[in-house]
Amino acid sequence: MKSRKPTAIIAEIVKYVILIAGALFTLLPFVWMVLSSLKSGSEIVAIPPTIIPTHFMFSNYAEAWAAAPFPRYFLNTVFVATVTTVGVLLTSILAAFAFARLDFPGKKIVFSLFMATLMIPGEMLLITNFVTVTKLKWVDTYKAMIVPWLANVFYTYLLSQFFSSVPEALYLAAKVDKCSDLKFLFKIMVPMNKNAITTVAILSFIGSWNSFLWPLLVTNSTNMRVLSHGLVRFQSEAGAQYQLIMAASCILVVPIVIIYLFLRKYILEGMAYTGVKG
Amino acid sequence: MKMKKIMALTMATVMGASLLTACGGSGGTTSTTASTTAAAETTAAATTAAGDAAAETTAAAAESTAEPVTITFWHAMSNAQEVSLTELTDKFNAENGKGITVELVNQGGYSDLQTKLMASAAADTLPDMAQAYNNYFTDYVDKIVPLDDFVKNDFDNWEDIVEGYRIENSEYGFITGVPFNKSTYPFFYNKTMFDRAGITEPPTTWEDLEKDGAILLEKEGVPMLGYDSMCDMLEIFLRQNGADYVDETGALFNTPEGLEAIEFILNLYSKGYARLIGEDAYFSNLMSSEMIGGYVGSCAGVTYIVTDNEGHEFELGVAPIAQGKKNAAYNAGTNLVMFTKDEAKQKAAWEYMKFLTSAESQVKWSIDTGYVPVRTSAYESQEYQDFMAGDTPGAITARAAYGQAPYGYVPSNYFPGANEIRNVVSDTLTVCISEGRTAQETLDELVTAINDVVQ
Repeated sequence: MKSRKPTAIIAEIVKYVILIAGALFTLLPFVWMVLSSLKSGSEIVAIPPTIIPTHFMFSNYAEAWAAAPFPRYFLNTVFVATVTTVGVLLTSILAAFAFARLDFPGKKIVFSLFMATLMIPGEMLLITNFVTVTKLKWVDTYKAMIVPWLANVFYTYLLSQFFSSVPEALYLAAKVDKCSDLKFLFKIMVPMNKNAITTVAILSFIGSWNSFLWPLLVTNSTNMRVLSHGLVRFQSEAGAQYQLIMAASCILVVPIVIIYLFLRKYILEGMAYTGVKG
Repeated sequence: MKMKKIMALTMATVMGASLLTACGGSGGTTSTTASTTAAAETTAAATTAAGDAAAETTAAAAESTAEPVTITFWHAMSNAQEVSLTELTDKFNAENGKGITVELVNQGGYSDLQTKLMASAAADTLPDMAQAYNNYFTDYVDKIVPLDDFVKNDFDNWEDIVEGYRIENSEYGFITGVPFNKSTYPFFYNKTMFDRAGITEPPTTWEDLEKDGAILLEKEGVPMLGYDSMCDMLEIFLRQNGADYVDETGALFNTPEGLEAIEFILNLYSKGYARLIGEDAYFSNLMSSEMIGGYVGSCAGVTYIVTDNEGHEFELGVAPIAQGKKNAAYNAGTNLVMFTKDEAKQKAAWEYMKFLTSAESQVKWSIDTGYVPVRTSAYESQEYQDFMAGDTPGAITARAAYGQAPYGYVPSNYFPGANEIRNVVSDTLTVCISEGRTAQETLDELVTAINDVVQ
């Protein structure tokens, strides 16, 4: 330590100052959400805004919690997001492997068709998907919320790019050792790409966790609704109860934060990989 | 490793629990058949005994709907509105005596409801009845059940419904719905601030808007006016100046009156008497922090104005909006429409519609929510008059709404594109104001934007 040059120390300090500033900047919306959730209905619309609430209104949480059947919404959301994520991982991994490693007639055409569907905006599919789900008599079931999202072209494409970068020699070596395709996929390919797969899982889970319009379209009973539907209860055409929205948002975000804490390592690595890949 | 186990265990428990609850959700029972049928008979008997002219049809209707029937009603009411609607519906379900059960389904906000109705129209799974603005169903008006026969044969007094709402519900050439939750846009103002600046009466004319706006800007340094909805503001000023707004052929205000109205609007903004909402979304927020003297917005929004913020305590005033050469005040809010093709359900839905629009229900609904009654008799009822005589924010707002009720108009929006026009007009007007265009340029841009949508 003694041998360090002053310039190196200054560089270190500058580095940390920038990092701390960056961290604060990123944290600000989150901190603001927590602080706002503790303000009174009048304080939250005060201009200039106060930073620390004058009175901590913990009752906001109770009020927000009571405004909608959040426990039920929570279970629905967790269930739908988990099943969707597991399902989409399974289909994406299998499809990605087929596109990356297997040879079958019409592969290029099928892949092009897959990619072409990426060009269709989701909004355009909303009504047709809804009509399909209705004809299947799936309205107001978990199936309607899960099945349409069990295949995802983007995730398939992303994973197939990762799978392609695994040297073919490995695959051939495995073949020589009489390893089946499926065994190769789950014993070698998947573990080698666990970061990319974690990224897909996270994206899928968050997407499902945040979805609003589709679950609203395909459900009618309160029992089938999800967390995001609880949030709109605090808004109306004429105004919004921001403090309750914030309190409910805090509650909503907790599970995501917990998942992040558990999977932090994989997420960071996964994100870094996708960055390198471009 | 231990962490992972706990995590896995938690996940498993949660998933298990959600599966269990998923299975337990579908056990609803309907076992009130006998008692409700009996009740229906008594009601029918009572009606006949009353011996008025309509008794026969009512009794007949009662008998034929004696079968228990459940109807679904999609709405977009939240907070206090949803509480009140639920109370009313519970009352109807308990007391209708015809075996009718109404099932309320909240579909989010207005735009969510609109999307969901559109998708359901495409899938042919529309609910039995729903709240709707006329512009929701321009594309599927054929799926609306015409209510003309119901109104003619089985409604106590159609003339009692406020005229503007009757016109609105007949725009398609037949009766598409009955009015339910109706609001109007009065002028909310900071009375304390007005008093301090020496403005004793809220503005009642266009000249007052300019005069008082100048005083308030000079004495208090804040604008006096804001409009929550830009397209509605334009229509208000156009109508007050004797100009028309839009119809299915496009913009109708390319006239001297139209130009004059737009010039007046631009002037209010360029002089600083009015301001745009920007990112703040609702003027009620600016009011609560005394950053604006007053604004024109929905009467149902009064509960969002906070008058006791530290350092910003003030007395709230509500008045009818200032009028021009002609009188005009904007009315908003949805109607109840019927989609069910089943005759028994249609009759049941009609019973519920009659109930929600009855004077008694309307009085309760209006007092609970801040909406205005749709019936003259509800306005005139002792209970509503007593309510308006009070000094709660709701009462003051109700008085102002009542004051401008005779000028109320309902915007015409039954033609395709009506919904999009609302958006393009608001956007275009906001841009023209913030970029300081001349009145003629603004008029031209608005007309072009509207005609582009229609053609």
